[in-house]
Amino acid sequence: MDAVVSNIPFLAKLGVYRFSQEKKETFLKLLILSLTAILSFSTRLFAVLRFESVIHEFDPYFNFRTTRFLTEEGFYQFHNWFDDRAWYPLGRIIGGTIYPGLMVTSAAIYHVLHAINVTIEIRNVCVFLAPLFSSLTTIVTYLLTKELKDSGAGLISAIMIAIVPGYISRSVAGSYDNEGIAIFCMLLTYYLWIKSIKTGSLFWSTLCALAYFYMVSSWGGYVFLINLIPLHVLALMFTGRFSHRVYVSYCTVYCLGTILSMQISFVGFQPVQSSEHMAAFGAFGLCQVHAFVDYLRSKLTDKQFQLLFKSLAITVGVVTVVVGGALTAMDKISPWTGRFYSLLDPSYAKNNIPIIASVSEHQPTTWSSFYFDFQLLVFMFPVGLYFCFSNLSDANIFIILYGVTSIYFSGVMVRLMLVLAPVMCIMSAIGISGILGVYMKNIEFGDSKAKKRPDKKIDTSYPVKSEIATGIVVMMTILLLTYTFHCTWVTSEAYSSPSIVLAASQQDGSRIIFDDFREAYYWLRQNTPEDAKVMSWWDYGYQITAMANRTILVDNNTWNNTHISRVGQAMSSPEDKAY
Amino acid sequence: MEAIYSLPFFVLEVPHLRLKKPAFIKAPSAMVTFGLILASYFLVTGGIIYDVIVEPPSIGSTTDEFGHSKPVAFMQYRVNGQYIMEGLVSSFLFVLGGAGFIILERSNISGLTRFNRIMLFSFGFFCIIVSFFACRVFMSIKLPGYLR
Repeated sequence: MDAVVSNIPFLAKLGVYRFSQEKKETFLKLLILSLTAILSFSTRLFAVLRFESVIHEFDPYFNFRTTRFLTEEGFYQFHNWFDDRAWYPLGRIIGGTIYPGLMVTSAAIYHVLHAINVTIEIRNVCVFLAPLFSSLTTIVTYLLTKELKDSGAGLISAIMIAIVPGYISRSVAGSYDNEGIAIFCMLLTYYLWIKSIKTGSLFWSTLCALAYFYMVSSWGGYVFLINLIPLHVLALMFTGRFSHRVYVSYCTVYCLGTILSMQISFVGFQPVQSSEHMAAFGAFGLCQVHAFVDYLRSKLTDKQFQLLFKSLAITVGVVTVVVGGALTAMDKISPWTGRFYSLLDPSYAKNNIPIIASVSEHQPTTWSSFYFDFQLLVFMFPVGLYFCFSNLSDANIFIILYGVTSIYFSGVMVRLMLVLAPVMCIMSAIGISGILGVYMKNIEFGDSKAKKRPDKKIDTSYPVKSEIATGIVVMMTILLLTYTFHCTWVTSEAYSSPSIVLAASQQDGSRIIFDDFREAYYWLRQNTPEDAKVMSWWDYGYQITAMANRTILVDNNTWNNTHISRVGQAMSSPEDKAY
Repeated sequence: MEAIYSLPFFVLEVPHLRLKKPAFIKAPSAMVTFGLILASYFLVTGGIIYDVIVEPPSIGSTTDEFGHSKPVAFMQYRVNGQYIMEGLVSSFLFVLGGAGFIILERSNISGLTRFNRIMLFSFGFFCIIVSFFACRVFMSIKLPGYLR
């Protein structure tokens, strides 16, 4: 580190070389992290530079409309909003059927900026929210990986997650969707969980519960968290690593987290009723039992303890099975719902629910999606796993579980590549840092040869040690460079098109821009009566309400399949029957 | 406690069995678990779930100008479609690349003979370089506009 830093002339001019070793390291870390944050923000701006600052796709238009309503009307009106402009004639209870985290975050940023007289329009706040949160994500990823291995691995993972295409695809500027902030919330929750596991303090566990609340408010994928954390606790129990730290952390996080998550209207009482949350409850019970057993073991003699333990285990097991079975049979505990059930049994959606099966995001993943979205990371993921398995610790077991479960889920559904992206970056960073850590020590720089003792034996079983190490470091550098070229190409070509404006190149190379969608919606807005009802297929529903400001029959929140099928029937029947 | 515990035995009779847990059943070690996870990684990144649901052919075929049908290895122009064999070959290369790095890490330990060390290093480098460039070539076959 010393040799490297003192060779950079401008740093020498700044007087940095006079700093102590520790200050130099901190300076370098801060410099790299700030450059990474700026990089992650700027690489997501392709669409804004090519077209304009406009909201992309379909779902973001609904989020934008609700955010606009929130900034204009205030939170209580927003929470009690009954929208009669969608799903005519049924209407939709907006307050109870959305995850408000995204809208509240944008509105908060908007109000803060306006309070200091930086009057940015709400549309621009929404468009640039996702890149802003991706910068914050790089910092949280650095912190998380630092807990798992060391700060070198942390820096590599921050740089990798700044440009990984799997994450960029859902957080490009203009893609104003829940996933933009959900990944940040998820990684924040995981970082605080790891911290609380390591320290066992109530402070970190409470912060973890608060971060979990933010996560629940932002995305339906919080179910993944509330199943992964209990799974981690169970894994710790089975490998004999259960300790008072785990006990304190999990009890705090589960109790506080569940109570907080029930404050979101959309979640309601699901955490105590649906099967998706039962694993957390089961792990909570098992935690109490395990801790009680440990306590008794320290108090009783061996023989008494064996008797008590066996009888207690049998009783508890029988009671759990009977009660659980009875509640499921009486339908008090609802079974796994459609979208999550299709993750466990992928053929379920294909055979039973065509509307879920028809969305292109829900298709299973091919090898080329993995390579396209991750390139170098698919090679380094097993290496990181290997390093984690070599130095098993409580935190490493967590990241192993996260990695394995996300690999499986992303194999089932392309959309969940997003959940896999952070752990791919973290694992690869652990792998790269491990390899480089081993081989950088072998490299002998030119000026250290003079310091070598003249009677130092050369190891004959290890020829050209320094040259091989240099070769490995150079190879790794080239691989990382190809990674950046790939990522930038993919971002520019594949993930930066706002679906609302299309561009094509003619034979002589010039581009023509198709702005048909927006022109059509604006025509609707200007040339139809205020209370007109528009019948279209559900894909365009959100955009019509947001831009044309007319009532529609069906939109992208496909909660009423009978309504949608009625519209479909009307569109495919002859005119007199349809009317 | 003993009174409750002995209740069922007024009705049931305990059989005289001598059962022992077989010695070879025990919790797997860390590296065995790693091997199993690597095998599942191979299957999932090869797109086996896609294969089970969409059921593509093992190799595609196209007819040339004489009417002979020629095999096609890679489904072109789409990132979200594959044939079974291309998926498995590619995920094998992913695992091979990872294994190359693991071999490199194991080559640094002391206690190896000179011959073993040279073999391990060359095998590690070979794995990494071949798998990386082969995957690059496969991707450019699949997407003709790749990196342009």
